[in-house]
Amino acid sequence: MNKGIAVRLVFALALASSLSACGNIEPWVKPYERQQLADPIMVANPNPVSSAYMDHVYEAREGARGALGGGGGGCGCN
Amino acid sequence: MSLGKWIRVAGLCGALAVSSLVGASTPMAPSFTLPSRGGDTVSLEQLKGKVVMLNFWASWCGPCRTEMPLLEQMHKRYSSLGFTLLGVNVEADTRDAERWLQETPVSFPVLFDRDSKVSKLYDVSAMPSTVFIDRKGNIRYLHKGYKPGDEGEYLNQIRALLKE
Repeated sequence: MNKGIAVRLVFALALASSLSACGNIEPWVKPYERQQLADPIMVANPNPVSSAYMDHVYEAREGARGALGGGGGGCGCN
Repeated sequence: MSLGKWIRVAGLCGALAVSSLVGASTPMAPSFTLPSRGGDTVSLEQLKGKVVMLNFWASWCGPCRTEMPLLEQMHKRYSSLGFTLLGVNVEADTRDAERWLQETPVSFPVLFDRDSKVSKLYDVSAMPSTVFIDRKGNIRYLHKGYKPGDEGEYLNQIRALLKE
């Protein structure tokens, strides 16, 4: 009987502490801490200009492609 | 306790809450001391009696770089009238900032907040952030971010605070 209460108490404590960890969510990286993230090496696309042209080619050639940020489509003439 | 006492206590608590809210509308600017680019340290207390514009910036922040030459103009124009601008650099590694400042020299003091203590103190929630502190040391205006044209508002607020 006592053991059951102890187990329940431990379980309740674990639940309470794990739930309290979920509270107070805020941005983990503050605006003034973005030095590392703002480094050019963190950019997902290393060659934005040349890949914009390539995206346009893919959009013109393949109807299933699109929304890559380029203008026009279809004939590939603009 | 009787009901009347409870009501009185509740009333007092309410009054306290209201007065603290009213007091919070012009909070005192938290004091700080930071090393400057010139090698000395600058503290806000030294500048009491002056209108202080605190600008939190970083070399990786585009809008900050855009407004820097405008801030330089403001500093040059109004520093003789009891105005000073403090540029607080928030970077942990200040080499990029130094490099950028060599290309874009500024005459106002640039302070280095390498461990983000002052940024935390002022709860900087956007980059750049600009805080205006009046002659008595109260925070009067806060600007989050910068977009072209904001400098007009900066100038109006500097003039208004200088006239006080």
